[in-house]
Amino acid sequence: MRGAFSSEWVKLRRRSMLGWGFGAGLFFPVLATILTIERAVRNPTFDGGRHGIRISYATLEQPTGLVHGVVDVSSLIGLVALCLFAAAFSLEYSQGTLRNLLVREPRRARLLGGKFLALVLFIGLVVIIAVGVSVAFAFALAPGKGISTAAWTSSTGVNDMLQAVLHAFLAAVLYGVFGAALGILLRSPAVSIPVAVAYFLPIEAIITGAIWSGGANWLPNHLLVALAHGGNGDSTYSHALLMLVIYAAVVAASATALFRARDA
Amino acid sequence: MTVETPHTASQAGSDVRPIVATSLSKRYREVLAVDGVDIDLPSGVVGGFVGPNGAGKTTTIQLLLGLVRPTGGTARVLGETIEHPERYLRRVGALIESPSFYPALSGRRNLEVLTRLGRLDGSRIDEVLALVELTERADDRVKTYSLGMKQRLGVAAALLPDPALVILDEPTNGLDPAGIREMRSVMRGLADRGITVLVSSHLLREIEAICDHLMMIDHGRIVFQGPIGGLLDAQQTGVIATPEHSEDLERLAALCAAAGKQARIDGDVLRVTAGEDWAAELNRQAFAAGITLRGLEVTRATLEEAFFAITDAEAADDDAGADGEEA
Repeated sequence: MRGAFSSEWVKLRRRSMLGWGFGAGLFFPVLATILTIERAVRNPTFDGGRHGIRISYATLEQPTGLVHGVVDVSSLIGLVALCLFAAAFSLEYSQGTLRNLLVREPRRARLLGGKFLALVLFIGLVVIIAVGVSVAFAFALAPGKGISTAAWTSSTGVNDMLQAVLHAFLAAVLYGVFGAALGILLRSPAVSIPVAVAYFLPIEAIITGAIWSGGANWLPNHLLVALAHGGNGDSTYSHALLMLVIYAAVVAASATALFRARDA
Repeated sequence: MTVETPHTASQAGSDVRPIVATSLSKRYREVLAVDGVDIDLPSGVVGGFVGPNGAGKTTTIQLLLGLVRPTGGTARVLGETIEHPERYLRRVGALIESPSFYPALSGRRNLEVLTRLGRLDGSRIDEVLALVELTERADDRVKTYSLGMKQRLGVAAALLPDPALVILDEPTNGLDPAGIREMRSVMRGLADRGITVLVSSHLLREIEAICDHLMMIDHGRIVFQGPIGGLLDAQQTGVIATPEHSEDLERLAALCAAAGKQARIDGDVLRVTAGEDWAAELNRQAFAAGITLRGLEVTRATLEEAFFAITDAEAADDDAGADGEEA
């Protein structure tokens, strides 16, 4: 598995991949952090939503205020992971490179495992750097707006930040499991990425909005959003984590079985 | 490309047959792509695997490399069963179909992907790149390579593990005449060092030029295997006689018929189905009959002619069998 892991890194460390992966992973959290702080008001009043949601200074001055923007968009980092994993696996089929890989590593489960772990490490770095850069922006912008950062550096603030990293990372990895499985199943990035994004964004929203309102507590994207937020109104954190671990185990086992059984 | 290879290891003299297959079959739903193939490839030869497109060459190679699973039969590669490709693929280099690489990575990085994956010696990358004369373009992205360069990179990838067996599927595809000649040289160089080479091609002249052992496949079935020289020697030779005056062609044909030889007039020449020794006899008889020959040539069957002779005979046998069953 070490060979597969090391081999995958050669592909992941290329400049375009680093630019694309880190660019997409950083864009949403950093933007959310900047907008959250810049649009914050001392005494927000409800204006009918004409100016969007505005956070109060008091909210941002809580220990969780440091990563408020990051947490709001952490599921979007997960969508980046979904696309990254789907592309990484399906491209091996569509480019015809899978055969070369299988000649050098015929133990297919090891190839799959090493490749997956390399992608997990990559997305882990994306999450850590995305949160790190967002935190840096938060510290840089807050004093100019007169927002106190004292609570952010408290032990509770640091703990909240680490939890935000952990939740975003777990969600991204689980999004990655679904992405990898779709990549293996559909064998083409041109098919697997649109199918993945379509399901995880509009289709699931339509299902819970128009067909099955209780689905928010059971369907994967809603659970992943709940996990990334550390629990929300749809699901508690522990329920989301338990359900997603079960889903991921089933999906990963099925994808591995398919990958091992199918002719290359 | 040069003949001298940087390899150190070989299995020259090994008693293990590099490839042995027994009744190997692969069915894709209604299509029987490989139909009970038996293969016995000797060690240290350049073995040609020939047949028309769609005959089953690539599927057979994929079976031998563990990329697809057989629906029947067995095979051993370097003495190990194909059910456990991990036991022999470390000693096998392969180029499968058209060479596929990561277009955004350089040639060198593509080889690095494979060396890391197979836990191979990374220092061999420069050696194999030099062997296929890609050193100068090694750091350019593969998407800027010509098809011939990709083909050479594919051969370089096949040579990375310092193999005992190299399997090349259509290695001369996309190469210019100079590249084809260099590829021949590389393959012969490998065989000279005791490395067994199996090369598939639908270009029979290519195979005839470089191989000493031959396997012919048609409609998923092996129709011939053995030394290529033996096959060609067994084919019917011919004599082409060209009389000085074309009006003598009829009389010359009559001489052949009188000797029990099949002959036909083809333009200005007479084509006689006969052994090599008949040329001298025909020359004598023509002289005695007052016919002057301005040309006399002994022809040997080409591999292409041998292939069609064998496959036509197989088809005739099949038809006869089918007619018998209907009756």
